[in-house]
Amino acid sequence: MSVSSEEVLRIAQLAELHVDEESLPELVAQMSRILDYVAQLRAVGPAEHVKPFIPGPDTIRFRPDEVNPWPLAFGPDKMAPAFKGGFFLVPRLGAFGDEGEAGEEA
Amino acid sequence: MSDAVAGARSAADRISKLRRLNAVLTKQTELRKALVAQADAARPTGVLYGMPVAVKANICTLEFQTSCGSRILEDYRSPYDATAVARLKEAGALIAGATNCDEFAMGSSTEHSAFGRTIHPIDKTRVPGGSSGGSAALVAAGAVPAALGSETGGSVRQPASFCGVVGIKPTYGRVSRYGLVAFGSSLDQIGVFGRSVHDAARVLSVISGRDPRDNTCEDRDPLRLPTVPENLDGFVIGVPKEYFPPDLDPGVRRACDRAIRILRELGAAVREVSLPHTPYAVPTYYIIAPAEASSNLARFDGVRYGVRAEGPLPDVRALYRETRGAGFGAEVRRRILIGTYVLSSGYYDAYYRKAQQVRALIAQDFRNVFDRGVDLLFTPTTPTPAFKAGAKLADPVQMYLSDIFVCTANLAGLPALSLPIGRVKGLPIGGQLMGPHFLEDEMLEAAYALERAVPATEEA
Repeated sequence: MSVSSEEVLRIAQLAELHVDEESLPELVAQMSRILDYVAQLRAVGPAEHVKPFIPGPDTIRFRPDEVNPWPLAFGPDKMAPAFKGGFFLVPRLGAFGDEGEAGEEA
Repeated sequence: MSDAVAGARSAADRISKLRRLNAVLTKQTELRKALVAQADAARPTGVLYGMPVAVKANICTLEFQTSCGSRILEDYRSPYDATAVARLKEAGALIAGATNCDEFAMGSSTEHSAFGRTIHPIDKTRVPGGSSGGSAALVAAGAVPAALGSETGGSVRQPASFCGVVGIKPTYGRVSRYGLVAFGSSLDQIGVFGRSVHDAARVLSVISGRDPRDNTCEDRDPLRLPTVPENLDGFVIGVPKEYFPPDLDPGVRRACDRAIRILRELGAAVREVSLPHTPYAVPTYYIIAPAEASSNLARFDGVRYGVRAEGPLPDVRALYRETRGAGFGAEVRRRILIGTYVLSSGYYDAYYRKAQQVRALIAQDFRNVFDRGVDLLFTPTTPTPAFKAGAKLADPVQMYLSDIFVCTANLAGLPALSLPIGRVKGLPIGGQLMGPHFLEDEMLEAAYALERAVPATEEA
């Protein structure tokens, strides 16, 4: 099952992943190779009768519906690239035009 | 100076001398300082008091960066300890740095780390296996007696086999996944490396048991360690014929034949069994794991976590794309794309649904064998000894096939371990034991007995 460059670019868009023109031919070849390989599963006959396998406990344990203390040593302000006043910040983006203060994160 | 502090300094020295392996991502000065601070605070009554345990870089620790071997999390420091790490500390163990791994645990050679490959401790031209290659190499080189790794498709047992140490993958749900950076959530488990079965089992016992922070963790007490048996009388050990294909490396076959002979001499009844869907395990795994990865890794977008792409960007989706395109390495990008493809409209039934059905058949194969009186299975861990660095980088499928004997246990959620059973041209060979769900104690009994009897450092 070969994939085309257009398909790879469409999938990359769905995956929010930039793929540059230079690496595209190799990526197309490798994805085609992998998809050809995994396609051998078609040789396995119908398996609707087999009970689905779900690892882990048979039943989900519910936790008490209560608010517990923040269990972290520090908050998201230390993890995110930019964080202010309880919000994750993104840089000024072209789509927002000239709104907001220039040079600041919006 | 306490014994633990002296031990911590000594461990820091050993790790420092092994810098050439590129097995640890933590800076030496930071590691030494953290080890001594932990030793000062360690509980002397803990069962692992003073034991240095290195931790794979995809398991969260408060002390060290949890980079997952990726540029996108290069400076990421977790605000909490993984449950497994917290339990090690409670038991008095010292967390001995973050170990190198394939990026987000995706790989079988540790060549896909953004921070350079880890070197095999015996032959520098070879790979230590992966994805937990840094942990395996560090234990094999004698820097630490034990280390944590993670398994999604054999990432503890395969490097354990390549490096000549013990690697245990517990039953899915035996050890909490809280604080393990998710790759394939239905497959992931934290595993343990040790110089011996006992070292690895002691650590496993400490980190296992129920955890209210992980709903996929079973409501069970911690694993109780079995005693070392005199013999294996009463054990029925199955040898699945599908794990001994005609193209199996002759040295691996010789080592396995010798181990099977020893199992018989120890009193076990050994019988050939069949797991007919084994040939489909790798393609099944390489649909399910990337599908789950494509969802789990969506959070690394440069807004909530990660190193953010610079430059003028038209909109927030461009920010995501540029950040992820630049932050993820080639193998991670490939798997995200494959995962997105098999989950996308028009392909879901043909790939993902089919793979789930075959996964159920693979699990059924194991149930059939265990229901017919077989206690454990014995197989080679890998089809070959450690391969040369760079040998499989050009063809991802060839790299994936090195997981052929290990990924089945992940698909079926079973416990499994690899232990050294001999050498071929000086390179270690691993033998694998697999057991039914939550019967790690029987698996460990057989491993203790085999470990004592097999000449693991002799040519097979």
